[in-house]
Amino acid sequence: MDVDTEMQSATAQGTEESKENEWVRINSNDGFSYLVRRKVAQTSGTMANMLDPNGGYAEAQTKICTVDERGIVTEKLVEYMCFKSHYQTVGPKEDIPVQEMQERIPPEIVLEVLLAADYHEM
Amino acid sequence: MRSLKTRPFMDASILGRDRILQPTVMSRSRQNNIRGPTSALTEFLRESGITPTTIARRAAQQQPQQDEQAQAGPSTETQTNDAGPSSSRPSRTASRNRRASGYGSDNLDEDDGEPEPEQDGDDEKAEELEESPAPAKKRKLTKAAEAKLKAQEKKKKGKGKKGSDDEDYEDDDPYTSLSKSMWSSGSSKPPVGSFENCARCEKQFTVTKYTMAANPPPGWLCHVCAKASGQDPFKKPAAPRKRKAPGDKREVIHFVENRLPSLVNMCIKIVTQYIDDVESLGDIGALNVEAIAKAMAKNRSLTPENARLFYNTTNTKLIFYDATNLTSSALESLVYMNPNLTSLRLDFCGQLDDKSFKLFITSLPALQRIELLGPFLVRSPSWKAFARAHPNLEGFLINQSPRFDLECMHALVTYCRGLKALRLREIGKMSDAFLEEIGDLGPEALTYLDLSCPSESCSDTAMITLMSEVGGSLTHLDVSKHDLLTDSFLSEGLQHCTKLESLGIAHLLDLTDKGVADFFRSWQNPALVELDASRNPELKGDALEAIMKHSGLRLEKLNINGWENVEENGLRDIGRKGKELVKLDVGFCRNVDDFVVKAWLEGEDVKGVKKGGCRNLKELKVWGCNRVTAQCPKKHGLTLYGVESHVIRR
Repeated sequence: MDVDTEMQSATAQGTEESKENEWVRINSNDGFSYLVRRKVAQTSGTMANMLDPNGGYAEAQTKICTVDERGIVTEKLVEYMCFKSHYQTVGPKEDIPVQEMQERIPPEIVLEVLLAADYHEM
Repeated sequence: MRSLKTRPFMDASILGRDRILQPTVMSRSRQNNIRGPTSALTEFLRESGITPTTIARRAAQQQPQQDEQAQAGPSTETQTNDAGPSSSRPSRTASRNRRASGYGSDNLDEDDGEPEPEQDGDDEKAEELEESPAPAKKRKLTKAAEAKLKAQEKKKKGKGKKGSDDEDYEDDDPYTSLSKSMWSSGSSKPPVGSFENCARCEKQFTVTKYTMAANPPPGWLCHVCAKASGQDPFKKPAAPRKRKAPGDKREVIHFVENRLPSLVNMCIKIVTQYIDDVESLGDIGALNVEAIAKAMAKNRSLTPENARLFYNTTNTKLIFYDATNLTSSALESLVYMNPNLTSLRLDFCGQLDDKSFKLFITSLPALQRIELLGPFLVRSPSWKAFARAHPNLEGFLINQSPRFDLECMHALVTYCRGLKALRLREIGKMSDAFLEEIGDLGPEALTYLDLSCPSESCSDTAMITLMSEVGGSLTHLDVSKHDLLTDSFLSEGLQHCTKLESLGIAHLLDLTDKGVADFFRSWQNPALVELDASRNPELKGDALEAIMKHSGLRLEKLNINGWENVEENGLRDIGRKGKELVKLDVGFCRNVDDFVVKAWLEGEDVKGVKKGGCRNLKELKVWGCNRVTAQCPKKHGLTLYGVESHVIRR
């Protein structure tokens, strides 16, 4: 708890940039946990709203987003978020390996991922 | 001398605009002195002595004197001729202020030698115009100095970017180049072949296409004098430096082309890939099939291939929220694959035609409810056959069909005696005759009736008759946009309805405040759950009060969008009585402001105790309520739509 408040006050004084580099936690519903940068988590519209300090949601205080999906599905979501946040900033001339990302989604879970992606606005 | 604070006025962009004014000025020119009303710009230019002739003259002087360096527009005159003081104005230093003459300068008067002492203030502004040099004391510069400066210019130009205003004159881009009249000299050349006296040596010479304009104007130079002044008419224009193609120079904002596909899109592509391999997709039943259908409909990605994901012979219910991409044959396969459907809903089924609809008729024997949005290709005989083939039909809800005519209506009523739900919304052929047919269904039949948005309103009397025939059993009624309906429809027609829960009377412009109020005060029907009375600008506080008194305790959805003048007290009444409200639309009710919203959300203070308030409110639409600010109180779980100051975030 102390660590949390400490972190809070520290980040309250921090700049926008250092906020972007903060770690946030994404939990699945079966006990798996993923730590990512805030910038990565914000590729998801729903999560960006959850973590927004002006939004008034509890997740903004705890910096933990709970995804109501199995671990394996959550992991795919996180993978996509990393992929997207990295390639968002790349220049117009660079090739984006979309096909590779697509191949990394196994068909066995694709429907669950589809629904989760739709819910999380990514 | 008028100081020009508004420097950008002199930019080429303005001149580009002014160019449009030029032709009329020129044609009107010298014959008469009639001056019509002018814009501020033309007034200003006229006052300052800038006329089309001067501009064109400068342009004409520029042209023959171009070398690969001097890409600058008329404002920069870096030619090496010494034809006269007004033409050569090399800058004193490359880095110090570029005292422009012409468009970049404050030097508005048509002077040819007056140095401008007070130009330091324009330093920064002059900096923008890199290519527009003009010293105050040009006459004092020697040729050597000129050459030196020119070398500096070259260097500067080599690395600096061009001032955009200069470019505008030079390029051939049809969007931004000068009009054609500017390229030729201000005074039109005498016809080729005629005789002219040289402006300098007074000798007579024949005008050719190479004849140069004299500098200073007016006049034309004979070939000899032209050559002497350094302008060689025959010299081939130096190969122009390779310029960016006009297409590139135009500032077009490119949208990011290689957009990252969303995860949803990627998943849908994968689904399409694996569509044949059902086992690999896992057990779909476990997931919410409807949710998947909605996710796919959101971006219109339902195609004939991935629609197969939803087909199953055991399906009894099928809903497609966007069947735009389903072709006629795809719809046929839909029927083949789901023969046991009892309920089918297809939104945006524009490709449904007679051929595929035939299968609907023959191969869906268990169908009890059909809901179609946009089946405009299905013809009248098909509708009739459909009715005949489904005597057990309970729900017939179609939206948007110009071909569904009276005969179809008759067939429907004749064969489907058990019809409970009927929607004929936006039907082109809707008329009073239809209402007669519907009336034939008799009392105790219909529970859901939606006849809204006809192309032509039905009459008051016909509607009243219909109500007397079928109104008794209705729980849902929508007659929006039948603009011929009046208060008497309410008082005489709706009085037959005793079980209504949901009522739609939007867009009925003949309803009056008093009429509606009286109706609700005396209505025998129990409280409504849903009321849509939107777009009736005549209705005000009285009507609202009566409505809230009648149905306030049960109302969950209320739409009074467009009730412009409803008073604040009436609005607050919503909060006092409407405890169950979940969705509220008060768009364009001008008296809604932050305090009213507060009263709705938190209740009002009655003797120190907060009473009332809409505790269950989930959706509040305040489109057009400009007194609702961003400081409007919000509540967790409430979605607020339409606050004017809200900016779209992404």
